[in-house]
Amino acid sequence: MATQQEQIEGFGHVSRTIGTVFRYVLLAATLFGIVALTILLIYVANDAIQPLTADPGWHLTFFLTLVVPTLLVGGYLLRTDPASFRFGATVVGLLAVSTMFAGGAAMIFVDIVPPVVWFGYVVALGLALGGVVGIERLDRRLPFLARFVGAGAVIVAALGIVPGAIQSLPVYPTDGIMLTLSLGAPVAVVVGRYAAAEAGRRWTALAMLVALAAVGAGEVLGPLLAIGAVPATVLLAVAVVPTAGYAVGHTRRFPARRSGLALTAAVLGGALVGAAAVDALGFAGPQSWVDWQFLTSAHSGTAAEAGLYPAIGGSILLMVTVAALSFPLGVGAAVYLEEYAPDNRFTRFIDVNISNLAGVPSVVYGLLGLGVFVTYLGQPTGTVLIGGATLALLILPIVIISAREALRSVPDSMRQASYGMGATRWQTIKNVVLPRAFPGILTGTILALGRAIGETAPLIMIGAPNVLFSLPTSLSSKVSAMPLQVYAWASLFASEPFYQAAVPAGVVVLLIVLLSMNSIAIVLRNKYQTDQ
Amino acid sequence: MTENPEQEYAADESTDDPTTDDMLVETDVSESVAASGPTMSANTVVRAENINVWYNDEQALQDISLEIPENQVTAMIGPSGCGKSTFLRCINRMNDLIDAARVEGDLYLRGKNVYDDDVDPVALRRRVGMVFQSPNPFPKSIYDNVAYGLKIQNKKGDYDEIVEESLKRAALWDEVSDRLDESGLELSGGQQQRLCIARAIAPDPEVILMDEPASALDPVATSQIEDLISELAEEYTVVIVTHNMQQAARISNKTAVFLTGGELVEFDDTEKIFENPESQRVEDYITGKFG
Repeated sequence: MATQQEQIEGFGHVSRTIGTVFRYVLLAATLFGIVALTILLIYVANDAIQPLTADPGWHLTFFLTLVVPTLLVGGYLLRTDPASFRFGATVVGLLAVSTMFAGGAAMIFVDIVPPVVWFGYVVALGLALGGVVGIERLDRRLPFLARFVGAGAVIVAALGIVPGAIQSLPVYPTDGIMLTLSLGAPVAVVVGRYAAAEAGRRWTALAMLVALAAVGAGEVLGPLLAIGAVPATVLLAVAVVPTAGYAVGHTRRFPARRSGLALTAAVLGGALVGAAAVDALGFAGPQSWVDWQFLTSAHSGTAAEAGLYPAIGGSILLMVTVAALSFPLGVGAAVYLEEYAPDNRFTRFIDVNISNLAGVPSVVYGLLGLGVFVTYLGQPTGTVLIGGATLALLILPIVIISAREALRSVPDSMRQASYGMGATRWQTIKNVVLPRAFPGILTGTILALGRAIGETAPLIMIGAPNVLFSLPTSLSSKVSAMPLQVYAWASLFASEPFYQAAVPAGVVVLLIVLLSMNSIAIVLRNKYQTDQ
Repeated sequence: MTENPEQEYAADESTDDPTTDDMLVETDVSESVAASGPTMSANTVVRAENINVWYNDEQALQDISLEIPENQVTAMIGPSGCGKSTFLRCINRMNDLIDAARVEGDLYLRGKNVYDDDVDPVALRRRVGMVFQSPNPFPKSIYDNVAYGLKIQNKKGDYDEIVEESLKRAALWDEVSDRLDESGLELSGGQQQRLCIARAIAPDPEVILMDEPASALDPVATSQIEDLISELAEEYTVVIVTHNMQQAARISNKTAVFLTGGELVEFDDTEKIFENPESQRVEDYITGKFG
């Protein structure tokens, strides 16, 4: 009897009380962790940097020159043109992060690998690659074995002879020139290709030349700024030139975003003007523990003279070793398990065990490293190689799991398309699956490296020294690491100034290094997500 | 790869196939697709004999026997789960990639049984192009997408020319000629599907299999794809699976109707199927009473 006259008075009410309570309990749980962590970090940063020891004039100067202009320009851009704001902020972030990496690289070239050795190996690698490509191009009818043997001979010969030959030259170019050629040239190629992609092919050569010339300027600028030719060249090659290349390429492609550079100018200019102003006005800065002295000197009995330099270098070397060991092993295992292995009881057993291994405490891995490498293989304790191998074992399950996740995220339709074209499994993996999964694999590996860089227990187990006064110079020298040094200050040298200032300063440096590493992972992940 | 793969393929084991001999393969009879009349004169490219397919214990296809003529569009229609896609994937042995699938019977491509022990499924798939339901270009440049088949097969020749030719045949060249180095994923859905068609025809296959190629596309893109299929049939043998009966009626010369249970109920000229089917079940399906 539904006539058009029938009317509804109301729809009643459905209770949402429990849902609302649940929602705010979840919010509280989320905030609890974040707030607790933030407070802790503020305490640590306060102890390490001690901002309140600075002259109020110092704060006021930087507030006026740096904070106010940045907020004004940033706020204005954010309201009117968010794309430009993001671009400007990216340039600042890129410069900051790449400067850290430049610092690490400079450390390597100053103290670990002399530029002439590096130059020799880069030239040898270039020759070897050229030889291999030449053999491939020369005659495709050569049997595979002949090409394989030929390529192998070229690689071995180049790597075996060229570095030694270059080092034995009576006169060789200055360090700056060698670094410009061996470090600047690859950077110039990358910048040139980027310029070609963003601004068009005809800019490639020009971009490469400008980039190379800019890196070469380090030879002159370094001594002028009193930081030496080598660090200046590295800084230009790793930080300044890539950032400038990105900024120029991006503004050519999106001219409308040029205004974003105002933000970059506000931050950089503000910092420079502020520094000049406090210098001129005589305002004292904070008595920060994280200063040049802390970053460049070794441990000392007096806290004020102690530094983290050997530990930073050790951590960098350890990370390079860990990455070199765990990346091929982990990715290889992941590709096998994901693409080749049949689904049977044995592979499922391996699956479960890899997941379990990812949760095994790190001290157990330390014991494993001690047992296998030191006791069984008779290696000396505490070297870069042993430390790196132990940490690589520690993160191997994480690398495998994250790489498998990345491989699994490649849509099956891509594999089907490739098989449908008549590709073999190897061709499908090489041409379709791996390129697509690569950013994800890299992200997972970097995050796993982030775990390795903070590990203390395995290094203690394998007998890494708590205190080291110089950088390790080879894979078989003793190595210390940042967390180990911090731990030593907190335990062995426990005294007021050490654990009130040196420890927080060490923690801050460790966190900054960790964040710059993870920032690569974040950038890769964002790029990966927008590609999909 | 040999100079004349077609010959080798048929000559290899011509004893296997009593009906198709070398002479027939060589003669180029039907050039016109427009002719929708009797198509008895066309060569048979694919001949299935008693194909049965099981997924584990469940039978997906029952005793399918049919002949697919050269340079024509053959449509497979039927309700969901009737096995028409499964049959399509028998032709290039894509079912091999599914562990649970088991195929019995014989399927001849140009007189060679593709289920013989000496047939390498990878080599077979290089002769058979495939276009899938949803566009699946590789995350590579448009150029590299089209050149993919050439590269993996190590084909000689001017890739630039073949890529251009394939894109022109796929009616995509005018839209992408100035941005061949952009990612294939940046194209619209319809363009992506035409890119996949260009990718499939670039290595010059014997047969092109299309598994519901327009089902994920809007009506405009669908009609572009349909026009394209009719044009492709001038040079290629096209086998298309579709849900859409009007589409089958519009573009195909022959139609196979599969019904639930994996049976091939009727296979005949498209006109006959849609105007005067033999079987009552097919008529019910076509008029929408069932399925």
